[in-house]
Amino acid sequence: MISNFPPGFIMIIGALLIPFLPHMIRQIYMMVLVLISAYSLTLGFGIHSTINVMGFDFILFQSDSLTLPFAIIFHIAAALNVIYGAHEKQWKQHVSIMSYSGAAIAAVHAGDLFTLFVWWEATAFTSVFLILAGNTYRSYRSAFRYILIQVTSGMFLLAGAIILLINDGSALLTKFDINSLYGQLIFIAFGIKAAFPLLNGWLQDSYPEASEIGTVALSTFTTKLAIFCFAKCFAGTELLIVIGAIMTFYPIFFAVIENDLRRVLTYSLNNQLGFMIVAIGIGTELAINGAVAHAFAHILYKGLLFMGMGAVLFRVGTCKASELGGLFKYMPITAVCTIIGAISISAFPLFSGFVAKSLIMSALGKEGLVLVYFMLLFASAGVLHHSGIKIPFFAFFAHESGIKTKEAPLNMIIAMVIASALCILIGIFPSTFYQILPYEINYQPYDFSHVVGQLQLLTFAAFAFICLWHFKIYPPELNSTVLNSDWVYRKMIPGVLIPLLKLVERMNQKFEEVIVISFSKTKILLSNTMIKNKVFDREVGSDTLIVIQIFTIFLILIFIGQFFYK
Amino acid sequence: MKALIKKFGKINSSVLLLCIIFLVLELIGHRHGETSIEDFTFFPAFFGFLSCIIIFKIGVSLRSFLMKDEDYYDK
Repeated sequence: MISNFPPGFIMIIGALLIPFLPHMIRQIYMMVLVLISAYSLTLGFGIHSTINVMGFDFILFQSDSLTLPFAIIFHIAAALNVIYGAHEKQWKQHVSIMSYSGAAIAAVHAGDLFTLFVWWEATAFTSVFLILAGNTYRSYRSAFRYILIQVTSGMFLLAGAIILLINDGSALLTKFDINSLYGQLIFIAFGIKAAFPLLNGWLQDSYPEASEIGTVALSTFTTKLAIFCFAKCFAGTELLIVIGAIMTFYPIFFAVIENDLRRVLTYSLNNQLGFMIVAIGIGTELAINGAVAHAFAHILYKGLLFMGMGAVLFRVGTCKASELGGLFKYMPITAVCTIIGAISISAFPLFSGFVAKSLIMSALGKEGLVLVYFMLLFASAGVLHHSGIKIPFFAFFAHESGIKTKEAPLNMIIAMVIASALCILIGIFPSTFYQILPYEINYQPYDFSHVVGQLQLLTFAAFAFICLWHFKIYPPELNSTVLNSDWVYRKMIPGVLIPLLKLVERMNQKFEEVIVISFSKTKILLSNTMIKNKVFDREVGSDTLIVIQIFTIFLILIFIGQFFYK
Repeated sequence: MKALIKKFGKINSSVLLLCIIFLVLELIGHRHGETSIEDFTFFPAFFGFLSCIIIFKIGVSLRSFLMKDEDYYDK
């Protein structure tokens, strides 16, 4: 029997009432839902809620030192989303965001794979409406692809869960063996949601097509839920170090040439997930702390950057670098908040990114993974390039675009200011921040070597960008589409399959024509012969037919018989 | 100096000044890295500058075959 509501569950159920409430009451109501859900976290660690269905115990609410930091940041993000989206009068997106946030929070507290599967799919079905809310032909098509891929991920998870249940008689959410079949299926399921290399196309395809509120919510939950699952089930799997290092590395180049600034942020999101995946692959206490700290800090600064670009999209109607520029004088608060997000993601000292990323880099150094260390250091310079400089520079400075607009709505500003404040507070008080991490930690990010080394890396990377821009080596941003791994199922497979299917169809038509014509000709010939020989004449017809039938059966029997007496 | 600032811009010159300050800081204190390679003097500065240039160069070279028309998928 259910003894306690799992966190997030109240948000999903409560979301059903949202359409019936007037605008302002709705906003207060949603904030109350988030607070009630957060109250469940005070129950402490352990299993708090199970439900027995047909002899199987679904563990709905299990909390431990790993679930707590994710639950805290998911609730903070849900509350910020409520504030950020307060200007939206329509109820549809609010229902979607509230139930999506709730499903993600509930998923974090799942104690078995089947419960996780339910919430896993719920996050997909509730979030797809945020992409549809983009309200363009592109967003509709993108939403369709998004839900197909998310459901595919769920199918892998379900298949893994069933095999595990058959093998072990239990499907508890615990550490899995990557060498087993169920482990590999679950690994792929998580990998799709974590946007692994070549499985990442959905992320850059769908998120930038969502509404300005929707992208902020999307950037928070789905991918970080996958990170949580990896930390829970595959910590210390060495394969993750390789995958994570590639993830940090290659999206940088795509982000550099991408024109849509929200899409640049999705590449940046992919690159940041790589840092977390590497840390989970290392699997030491310091590294897992690093992964969780980075996920926590990342949700805030990435959400902040998406909020800034969302505000620009809301006011100007575009997020294309080639069409923006010079907005600082019209949107100064948005610009300052976006710059704070940019500084945080670049990991400047005194900002959240620095205190989180330092843990991962130190864990790499301690394990002696030199090559991966330098790949991540290279990626850090890349983050500064595409998120630290490109985003604020092309939106608010660069050239004068001629666009005249006004500051973002008050609710957006409040959400951005709170997120900015949290980015700075985490950076200033790292020891307080480290207290919520899964393992006890005695780490000081602010030593001379760390600070000076990081400042040199970042300022000289920034100086390189300045030189490229000042001496007009940096090429202008162009309206374009940058090919990504989604090209495989958007262009290549249709490009090969459609002509192939047409060829098969044409061959089928030809075959039918030949058969039909031959059959007709044979039929006519037989009819003529039969009529000519009076085969069907009543006087001789019946006897002749019987003779023919007996003869045919005799022939068939001889034909079959030769196989048995060979 | 004023001519340099005027030519290079105030913000750009400030970043340059910061670069110099952080280099000088290394000479004052003792900086060590997570790996022994990082212990070379001014290593992070060189690494940061070169990384940014390499990222830019690779990014620009990728333009020729990754960048398509805006309506590429709509055709």
